[in-house]
Amino acid sequence: MRVMSEDPADTEPGPTWRRWLASLTGREGARERELDQTGTPPDPRFTLANERTFLAWNRTALALIAAGLAAAQFLKFNVRGLRLIIAIPLIVLGAVLALASYLHWEDTERAMRLRRPLRYSWMTRVLTGGIALIALVGAILAVVDRLAH
Amino acid sequence: LSRPEQSDPGLARDRTALAWTRSALNMAGSGALIARAGFAANLDVLGVVAALTMAAVAALTWRHGWTLYRGRARADAPPGQQTGALGLLTTATLAIAIVAIVFSTAV
Repeated sequence: MRVMSEDPADTEPGPTWRRWLASLTGREGARERELDQTGTPPDPRFTLANERTFLAWNRTALALIAAGLAAAQFLKFNVRGLRLIIAIPLIVLGAVLALASYLHWEDTERAMRLRRPLRYSWMTRVLTGGIALIALVGAILAVVDRLAH
Repeated sequence: LSRPEQSDPGLARDRTALAWTRSALNMAGSGALIARAGFAANLDVLGVVAALTMAAVAALTWRHGWTLYRGRARADAPPGQQTGALGLLTTATLAIAIVAIVFSTAV
């Protein structure tokens, strides 16, 4: 979907999060044109690979959210509130990765159009660390919950 | 999935269309989970609305993936950035996360 506007002020400069906000407030056409007009189109296979990578991250984020939902429903601790200590971080991690993967997709696309080196993302580290931490906390909670009753 | 390997080395276009399909299926599956969580939390209406919305997003995602696949068959046209579609998918995922937190705390 592209809305072509002749108003040069439509082009939203500045940080990526601001452009993302602009898309939510209906200024998406301007933003899309901006990416389209940056540099030159890369090899089509690179654009497609970047798109697939975003989709894979988005599925990962959805899976984390679904895992959090499942934890909230199916974990049975003696102290009822304890399951939220597992569920909420999983859902929040999913939300953070969903947003970050969009920003990373756009950053990568822009870099490819400008023939600049691609930047690494902190997402892999956050995903790995987040899952490890949640697993560790879950194990500790399970033991403590058992011992306390 | 009809194009031979010679005209699309690595079958990038096919793999991208299949990735869209996986995303659509993921969204539909999560919709079922959301509905179940809504019932568990005694927030039936919100659960059903969220699940129906996700079903619609899943259908759109599926259709969009295969529409892109056909459009990208033209070798002379660059594939184009999917800013709007990917932004919508991100927004939907964030909305799901918010609903998921509401349901989790209400169970």
